[in-house]
Amino acid sequence: MSIEIEFDSSWQDDFLHRIDEDGPWGNWELYKLSIEVEKHLVIPEFEGLQAPKHLPHLTPLPHQLETAKQVIENMNGKAILADEVGLGKTIEAGLILKEYMIRGLVKKVLILVPASLVTQWGQELNSKFFIPAVTQKKSYVWEQCDVVVSSIDTAKRTPHRDLIYQQDYDLIIIDEAHKLKNNKTKNYEFVQNLKKKFCLLLTATPIQNRVEEIFNLVSLLKPGHLGSETSFYEKYKRDSRSLNDNEHLKELVNKVMIRNRRADTGIEWTKRHVKTIPIEFSKAERELYEAICQLKNEGDWLQANAFSVMTLQREACSSREAVFYTLKNMLQRKENPSQTFQQQIEYLIAMVEAVQQNSKAEKVLELIRNINDKVIIFTEYRATQLFLQWYLKQNGITSVPFRGGFKRGKKDWMRELFQKHAQVLIATEAGGEGINLQFCHHIINFDLPWNPMKLEQRIGRIHRLGQENDVKIYNFAIKNTVEEHILKLLYEKIDLFERVIGELDDILTKLEFGNIEDHLIDIFSGSSSEGEMRIKMENLSSMIEFAENLRKGDSHAAAGNS
Amino acid sequence: MQQQEIHNFLLQYFEANDCPILENKPGYLTVQLTIELDKELMNRPFYWHYLEKTGGTPNPMQLTLITNQKEAPDSLKGEIIHFGSPRLHQIFASSKKLARYIRLYENHQQQQRQTALLPWLCLNVKISYQCDRKRDEFKSIGLQLINGAMVEDFHDRLLKIPLTPKIPDYSFTLSPLVKPKSGMLRIEKFLKSEILKEDHSWAEEAKQRWEKDLRLLDHFYEDIEEENESYETEKKALQDQYEPKINISFLNGGLFYLTEKAI
Repeated sequence: MSIEIEFDSSWQDDFLHRIDEDGPWGNWELYKLSIEVEKHLVIPEFEGLQAPKHLPHLTPLPHQLETAKQVIENMNGKAILADEVGLGKTIEAGLILKEYMIRGLVKKVLILVPASLVTQWGQELNSKFFIPAVTQKKSYVWEQCDVVVSSIDTAKRTPHRDLIYQQDYDLIIIDEAHKLKNNKTKNYEFVQNLKKKFCLLLTATPIQNRVEEIFNLVSLLKPGHLGSETSFYEKYKRDSRSLNDNEHLKELVNKVMIRNRRADTGIEWTKRHVKTIPIEFSKAERELYEAICQLKNEGDWLQANAFSVMTLQREACSSREAVFYTLKNMLQRKENPSQTFQQQIEYLIAMVEAVQQNSKAEKVLELIRNINDKVIIFTEYRATQLFLQWYLKQNGITSVPFRGGFKRGKKDWMRELFQKHAQVLIATEAGGEGINLQFCHHIINFDLPWNPMKLEQRIGRIHRLGQENDVKIYNFAIKNTVEEHILKLLYEKIDLFERVIGELDDILTKLEFGNIEDHLIDIFSGSSSEGEMRIKMENLSSMIEFAENLRKGDSHAAAGNS
Repeated sequence: MQQQEIHNFLLQYFEANDCPILENKPGYLTVQLTIELDKELMNRPFYWHYLEKTGGTPNPMQLTLITNQKEAPDSLKGEIIHFGSPRLHQIFASSKKLARYIRLYENHQQQQRQTALLPWLCLNVKISYQCDRKRDEFKSIGLQLINGAMVEDFHDRLLKIPLTPKIPDYSFTLSPLVKPKSGMLRIEKFLKSEILKEDHSWAEEAKQRWEKDLRLLDHFYEDIEEENESYETEKKALQDQYEPKINISFLNGGLFYLTEKAI
């Protein structure tokens, strides 16, 4: 067969010139040394990993090494790395990148990660892998630096976008790639148009996705691997969740995806201790909550604002500030509010003002004082976050806020402040993703998210590789409210908190009924009575139990066959 | 490379570049850099620029390199060097850059007789076989510029011969019949013909992988009729990923004048 053989002859003129000019000639010792060096640097085999030899201070885990080898030798450098949370996908990506760089197959690298992780990626590549990665700060970086880490939101904007398209990247790494599941978004389009010679997509939650999302993710990596759009949807329903039931599709996906499970790695994990802390409303708080519940019975609200009522209910369990903020917004947003509407809101605001204490916050204060160590408090609401910060300060406890909306530098700064100077970090939901806080092992869930995966991500911030202590999780729930229902009927029944990392998404995939959060909203807003709601919740948790048993059955069957 | 080998390599590198070795103990060494090597390694162009402008006294840095943390004293400040450390690779690159071309004579012992020295052209190259994976091979080829004899592993043979940069007494060099330029061409041709004789199933397999992915790509875009930019990008990406290539890159080389029986 014909293969192009390129002979580098750029040096010849230089050499001939020296022959004509009689020098200058090199030193024999150095000449010999450089050949010796070259003999060490030559890699005589296609197979095998060189990177570990270059990284004496890093001890990769067996599954990480195996993954790197798989990606390079069997997947041709294009893969979705989908390990369960906390198994070190960054290490795997770093190993692969390092290997390619050592072998001279990769020079120009683009790494797109959430803004909050840019600095961390840069630091890890430099300190753990000796890869001179640069975090993007100025637009000249795209051209002048070989390995650049940036957030996708920066990268897709002009002038960066055009500069990036002009570069010839050898490897593209995208962290939290599950955000690219929708092919109609700007981010998706941006990544699709990048030239991807080698490409790694990192995600922790690929199989909870619908088949459509899997198709989009895989097509980004390797277009055509799952067929064309038309042919794919002829075979599989767009919103089907039947990935696990369709062996053929599963097999195809597994050709481009590696998913290590915690259970298979044999790593010792610290334990999770979960404690539910039931709290009684004060009289005024209870009155506010009841007043909000009453809204449901007024026809006007039920049709247009079922969702708002529920939001308010949940907020009332968090803080009066959160309720107030939403009420104010509702009033402002409504065009030509009717007299009744206005009165209704004003009545509620008056109720809010009557509330003088926050029972949960009082409990938090007591708890933090007892723990006497670093604590992370999660809340869903900005207003609650601000209130808690103020409240703790009043009581002499230092805290730092953390939000998804923070710029990268601010996030790093807050993390640093928390680690070195503050006792408490108060994070809103968006802060739950993309920051690692292993140095802390207490979490207070001030209020509970309705999507169990979100909760898993919260816990995943501290319960990951590198955590040396058992993790303590405190769940706050107000008695006789939606919150308690959720906690009792959903989370406790399915043992969510005690579960090992990653089991949950397995279970949720087994259920082919869509997003849990949608179901909960439906149950709470659609139920006409407490009784109906209870029955529906029972149903939901039985479904989850059923799915779990199915799963257990699967593994028994598998064990039996082998 | 073992840590001891790295230690020895560093020592040789600094000695070959005339840097005084201030300390050479188990586990570490400290060297006084020369001005040239400070400029080469320390990356402080502004300092040197400033110094040249102001005419100050140059003060090249000292460098302490720790090759074994267990043996070096705990209090010692220095750079820890291991096979993956950027400093070592910088020095690797520097040693290659500083000695690309050479000319040497055999330091033979026949001092009383007039001795003819035959010219040899030596090229040391790295051959890289690349598709979505890569492997390399080091080759050293010598070509006698009188009779055109071609010798492999030439460098290893040279290591057994005493060599000197100055022509020894009572010696004279024979003029090459083969000009160095055409000598280079002969070596190039020789390398290429040798390579073509090898087994290239790796390249066949890469092409198969390439074609397979290309078929998938075509299928993916078959619904879309008009010219599609991302299709072209993807196609190019597959070519970059899989296309088998062989690169012969030059490491170093030179002219060697050797006695008739030397090789």
